Amino acid sequence: MTNLKLVRLQNNVRTTITVGGATFGDGFVIIAGPCSVENADQMIGTAMAVKEAGADMLRGGAFKPRTSPYAFQGLGLQGLKILAKAREASGLPFATEVLDTRDVSWVAEFADVIQIGARNMQNFSLLKEVGKIRKPVLLKRGMHSTLEEWLNCAEYIMNEGNPQVILCERGIRSFETYTRNTLDLSAVPAVKELSHLPVITDPTHGTGRVSLIHPMSLASVAAGADGLIVEVHRNPAEALSDKDQALTPRQFASLVADVRAMESFRREHAAEPAAAEGGRA
Amino acid sequence: MNLPEIRSRIDHLDAQIVGLLHQRMEYALQAGKHKEIVLDAGREEAILRNVTSMSSAMVESGFLRTVFTALIAESRALQEKRLRLVAFQGEHGAWSETAVHEFGSAMVAIPCFEFGDVFAGVEKGEFDFGVVPVENSIEGSVNEVNDLLLETSLQIAGEVVVPIHHNLLALPGSDHREIRAVYSHPQALAQCRAFLSRNRLEPRPFYDTAGAARWLRHEGQKTAGVIASGLAAAIHGLEIVKERIEDHPDNATRFVLLSREPAGGTTDKCTVAFTTRNRVGALLDILRIFAEQKINLTRIESRPSRKDPGLFGFLLDFTGHTDDPAVAAALDNVRSLTVRFKILGFYTGASR
Repeated sequence: MTNLKLVRLQNNVRTTITVGGATFGDGFVIIAGPCSVENADQMIGTAMAVKEAGADMLRGGAFKPRTSPYAFQGLGLQGLKILAKAREASGLPFATEVLDTRDVSWVAEFADVIQIGARNMQNFSLLKEVGKIRKPVLLKRGMHSTLEEWLNCAEYIMNEGNPQVILCERGIRSFETYTRNTLDLSAVPAVKELSHLPVITDPTHGTGRVSLIHPMSLASVAAGADGLIVEVHRNPAEALSDKDQALTPRQFASLVADVRAMESFRREHAAEPAAAEGGRA
Repeated sequence: MNLPEIRSRIDHLDAQIVGLLHQRMEYALQAGKHKEIVLDAGREEAILRNVTSMSSAMVESGFLRTVFTALIAESRALQEKRLRLVAFQGEHGAWSETAVHEFGSAMVAIPCFEFGDVFAGVEKGEFDFGVVPVENSIEGSVNEVNDLLLETSLQIAGEVVVPIHHNLLALPGSDHREIRAVYSHPQALAQCRAFLSRNRLEPRPFYDTAGAARWLRHEGQKTAGVIASGLAAAIHGLEIVKERIEDHPDNATRFVLLSREPAGGTTDKCTVAFTTRNRVGALLDILRIFAEQKINLTRIESRPSRKDPGLFGFLLDFTGHTDDPAVAAALDNVRSLTVRFKILGFYTGASR
């Protein structure tokens, strides 16, 4: 990995990225919200519910990369306006995905964090375009990408002049079919060895099963992740996309409580240098 | 055409008729400023003769006479109310119109094409007041207005500071990504310079923000956008692509109220205009006078004289009132050191 001039960890100096009241790389940032923005009522309702439950940031797709061209493609500009309204109502900043180079500057006008989805991880024109904006980029790992390929994509963004890259492990394809993907938690400490960039996990897409999201969230804290992104819908049964993997606000509240407890344990543990040293050996 | 289509066209025509009624009443009010007595039987008969001559089998002359008799009666009633007419530059939906309403709800805002028309109209008595923008928190001075202030015989009788939030507007149903050029007043374009640059949009100056909105609706150009107020978007049926595109959230413009009479009453702010003699330290001598009297200057504006480009005219705003002996002493001293000295007015300053 000699070509990672900007992404490589040097002298143990780590990048922190502050968005709203939360900082990636300092503490644990929880991003939550629906898969897609469906309408103002659903988005604002979910935003208020996840804020109440203790989320730091909102998520919601306005442009959706769907397997089928006949599936709901997202509300586009209208969706961005609704997300801005949800931010105003809840006081939480939001992250949203961009699919098309022509949309990058416009999405950046509305969003606090621009997401590059797993399917677009190696869309190099898109990476160069988000490298030119002045908003943090959440770069998801491609579902069949090595760590080196992933980190090279972060290098593309930084090379264009945008130093604010947050990595997100969201599961890779394996021979297992019980789970939607295999959440590669070993990627978290591995990235921490290789790069100074913050890394979070996506246990929703990483497992595709509601019952596995809670335990894998706790495991993410244990693995040293800087945060997580999780799908929450006010009424999952009515969701226009990903209805089988969205948490209810109640399930999410219980997840946040346990994750925060786990994180404070991690923080105390990290405060003891001898223990940290022993752990590494 | 099916029934819903016909009905939608009728609704559109009704909106146009109401818009024309607004315009007609505006002109009637302006005509009222030109005559002593409201009733002018000869003119009313001429209007009725003129419109009934345009009758047809469908729109009969009796019907036209009924409609226009009612219109004339309403115009006359409006003229008798002796409403205060306030001139502003631009079209309905312009930020200057918002400023007019900040001065009082009983004000009728009348659009003018240029800033010069606002000044001239108030000077000639066609309007009771004028409202013009003087300076903006992002873009600084409105040069044309400051030049006119240096020359005018009018008084400044008040001021307001209006928060300005610009919107990018486009035709409904158009793709915002196809927008290449954005039309608006040069001040609005300048206040959104960073936004335009980030999105690779070419700024194109237009005489007014709301006027640009009307133009876009009329032209139907899908590759054009407009920067204007939310009110202008509503008036002209345009879609708001993005709200609050100004380069700083604290964007605000200071407007002054122009009048033929001084404000009177208790005031706490003053504007003076003068030209200095062309010698070393001329401006410094004047500024020192204010400093010595401990008077707080809130703005200094210098403009090259349009009549003699070697000379500079200055506009000075400061806090203080007429009865203050320090203010009177300072003004006497300044008067003796300057040419063309003029007090533009004592008025109540805006709270922010």
